[in-house]
Amino acid sequence: MLFSRSWLSEYVDLPEPTAEIDKRLTDVGLAIEGTEENGEDVRIDVEVTSNRVDCMNHLGVARELAVIYGRPLRKPPVSPSEGTERVEDAARVDIEDEEGCPRFVARVVRGVKIGPSPDWLRQRLESIGSRSINNVVDVTNFILWEMGQPLHAYDLAKLEEHRLVVRRARAGETLVTLDGVERRLTPEMLVIADAVRPVGLAGVMGGADSEVTDATTDILIEGAHFDRRRVRIAARALGMHTDASHRFERGADPGACLDGVSRAAMLIAEVAGGTVLAGAIDQRREGVPASLGGRLDLDRLDAFAGAPIPAADAERWLTGLGFEVAEVARAGERLWDVSVPSWRLYDFQPRPDGSVYEADLFEEVIRHFGFANIPAALPGIPGADAPRTPRQILREKLRDLLAASGYAETVGFAFQSPEMDAAFSSLRPDTKAMPLANPLSDRYSVMRRSVVPNLVETARFNQRRGLPAVRVFEIATVFYENPAADVPDQPEHVALVCGGVVGSPWQRETALDLFDLKGAVECVAEAAGVRLEVRPAVLTGLLDGSSAELVRDGVRVGYFGRVATEEGYPLYVAEIALAGLEGGDVSLRVAAPSRFPGIDADLTLTHSVVTPWAEIDRAVAGLRPADLVSWEMTVRYQGQGVPEGAANTTVHFLYNSPERSLTQEEVNERQLALAAELQRRFGWKA
Amino acid sequence: MKEIDELASRFEREAAAVADRAAWDELRVRWVGRKQGLVRAALDGIKSVESAQRRAYGEAVNRLKETVEQRLAAMDESLAARERETARRGAAVDVTLPGRRPSLGSIHPVTRVVREMVQIFSEMGYSVAEGPEAETDYHNFGALNFPADHPARDTQDTFFLQSGHLLRTHTSPVQIRTMLSRKPPIRVICPGRVYRNDNDLRHSPMFHQVEGLAVAEGITVGHLKGTLLAFLRRLFAPDTEIRLRPSFFPFTEPSAEVDITCQICKGSGCPTCSGTGWMELLGCGMVDPRVLAECGIDPDRYSGFAFGMGSDRVAMNRYNIPNIRTLFDNDERLLRQVRG
Repeated sequence: MLFSRSWLSEYVDLPEPTAEIDKRLTDVGLAIEGTEENGEDVRIDVEVTSNRVDCMNHLGVARELAVIYGRPLRKPPVSPSEGTERVEDAARVDIEDEEGCPRFVARVVRGVKIGPSPDWLRQRLESIGSRSINNVVDVTNFILWEMGQPLHAYDLAKLEEHRLVVRRARAGETLVTLDGVERRLTPEMLVIADAVRPVGLAGVMGGADSEVTDATTDILIEGAHFDRRRVRIAARALGMHTDASHRFERGADPGACLDGVSRAAMLIAEVAGGTVLAGAIDQRREGVPASLGGRLDLDRLDAFAGAPIPAADAERWLTGLGFEVAEVARAGERLWDVSVPSWRLYDFQPRPDGSVYEADLFEEVIRHFGFANIPAALPGIPGADAPRTPRQILREKLRDLLAASGYAETVGFAFQSPEMDAAFSSLRPDTKAMPLANPLSDRYSVMRRSVVPNLVETARFNQRRGLPAVRVFEIATVFYENPAADVPDQPEHVALVCGGVVGSPWQRETALDLFDLKGAVECVAEAAGVRLEVRPAVLTGLLDGSSAELVRDGVRVGYFGRVATEEGYPLYVAEIALAGLEGGDVSLRVAAPSRFPGIDADLTLTHSVVTPWAEIDRAVAGLRPADLVSWEMTVRYQGQGVPEGAANTTVHFLYNSPERSLTQEEVNERQLALAAELQRRFGWKA
Repeated sequence: MKEIDELASRFEREAAAVADRAAWDELRVRWVGRKQGLVRAALDGIKSVESAQRRAYGEAVNRLKETVEQRLAAMDESLAARERETARRGAAVDVTLPGRRPSLGSIHPVTRVVREMVQIFSEMGYSVAEGPEAETDYHNFGALNFPADHPARDTQDTFFLQSGHLLRTHTSPVQIRTMLSRKPPIRVICPGRVYRNDNDLRHSPMFHQVEGLAVAEGITVGHLKGTLLAFLRRLFAPDTEIRLRPSFFPFTEPSAEVDITCQICKGSGCPTCSGTGWMELLGCGMVDPRVLAECGIDPDRYSGFAFGMGSDRVAMNRYNIPNIRTLFDNDERLLRQVRG
């Protein structure tokens, strides 16, 4: 928001240079975005936060400066010389919607001559980048930027019955606004109407019909206060944003209406001639503007700030800002009753009992005291807050494990296209992807139910960039509708994708396949201390015969497989719900290894190609000979020397007794017995 | 058996003269060669010995055979050791060849930065609080003192779901959920993904925040300053200074923007900080009494502070990533550079 240094100096004496002012304004919460020389003048761009509507005009900023520099604030005069005709005889205002319009002030000036503005007025408006229109409109704009009160000037002759009614728009009504656009109005919107039709959209923009033109001689000046919600509803519905709506939406000063209108009448008579009629119409709801105040305990202020703040300074700052301060006589306490000025009411939403929160008053004082003057300290809360949750521990463990296993962590968007959602299986196929109401585009229009689609896309992205191998993982939230809860179900999943060739001949290269991926999944399960059963399954987006579900205690918690569609080298993907990895046995108990040497043995079984390893594994476990410590699959072979339709599986066994050295003969015996039993029961030839 | 004794001393002489494998081989063949070995010959010589002396002769030859064989074996052993040593010394490798490395992955830059922040705060006694990303209007706005239909909501371009939920625009709803579920004293930090309907070179529609919250009796503005200073000096550099500029957030009162010494120029002014010497980093303030009251915490008894920052910005600063979008491209060539 632009301000003119020269204009500010109308109300307060300013020190040189402007950079000094910048720093001090920033220190009290009016951040300077930049300054720019403008002839003799300096244009200052101030970022005014939405709670400081009072500083969206020169007088407001000057008030802060007056407090900062301890100098007097010169308020502009607001008393026009009036004629004898009374305003009540010339015009009438009725407020039908007091909620929407708590106050409406009007004055009338007769016999004006519309024309160009004098230099001083034009220069003021141009100094803040505004364009001069004519003397009357310029005065209304000037007042907005001087005192903050949005005004509107009507051609009185064009108002039916010289009457204004503030009411809701009627269904089907339209209004051509000053910008020439025809607006369709709804009963949600507040309008200013004459006896017949709307002539302005309250707090947003006036109507073209009653606009001041070169032919205008009598004008009615409106200075009202509108409910910020009502203004916002209309402005948003119609896609409009004006200087007036900007202020009303944030909460304008209900106490400035009369001064604004009076000052406008005074200046119009000065720059456009004419006579200001006697008096002003001032329709308002009872208790507008509201009086608001509360107790300020200076000891609590010091305790809250963490620094002693001199009471005399606090009083000077508050009074300078328009607060009224009255000491409360109570022995041993330093208490003030403080009342809030009308231009700050919206920034001081009171307690349920109607008094202001002390923190709001503290803020005013601390802002001027300066954060820089408060010493840094640490709170003395003993002990620690709470331990890390099992989920937090698991999540970080998985990240470390996968990163140490060669996978790079990615972060993907939580929204994707419906096609991506449909491309892969979800762990909750009973749900539908939750659509966004206002997506960036169709590509990002539904919430993901699986991390896989995004991760496969990431893998493809890297593949297309020519990477010889891809290994990525992501731990992220997925979203399932749940009408029974206050928010959707949002479980966390870990997903990983790999493919391509890692390494080089020197680095003992590996062509990644399904079992590299599965190995990572097994490590994940082992780190979590859970057993995941693998059940072959047919899954969307994965190649039949190369995909499986991961089941824990009968519950499906994940899946893995080979991606069905291929571009370049094949990709392998897995996804597991973190909940399925929780509560595992990660106890630190270990079995002491035997002090005696163990004996290795190999056994090659010939079996049907369709016999799964899991069956052989189970069979060995079921027949487990004495002192067999472990066994693992070492070779799976099909081809020359193996009958058609059969495969060879070599299993490596380790025998070890905790009590003694085993002999080769007894191990041979046990292996022979095992082989015989496997053949007898399952037909697998050793 | 004179001739046998002579053979024995001859063997000793010849053995002592053997210096290498070839000589040893000759010695072996000459003495224990199957066909013409001297020991074989001596054994065969028994035929021409008188029968009375055959036994003694036989024993002597066997002794000789044993001695010779033992001696040859010992010599073989020591020659082999010498050869191994020579081979070891001779077989130098090119030690500058690359090592065979375990295949390492990487942790995302944002995760790394968040972990660092969590670490610093956990040492200050904070725990980590988390909450849903798809949120209610109440938790994201209402309870945080954003009135319905207020322009303050416009500053946070919100994604809405057709279900009526929204994607949280900040991690502050986690503060609300924490305060609704616990009594003070509370010290938590809340890292997480957040969403805003904003998609250009400087904005990503999804990004990350870390917020902190401390609520207890007697929490002061000075504590807010001190905590941020301690945190930022650990996260950046020990000589980091901070500057609080009063600002406005609906959920804190007073509120401030926090600048830190520009980490590029250390405060002297550079293009990165537009010559100001400061970098805008986070927002903070004292928890608004309306927010405390909404969460069932008596604002007359308890006070608290809250702060929040974009972890993506910190990651970008830390890893010299110029564009926030780059963080979420997930290009492995970038991700795998993040090590350590």
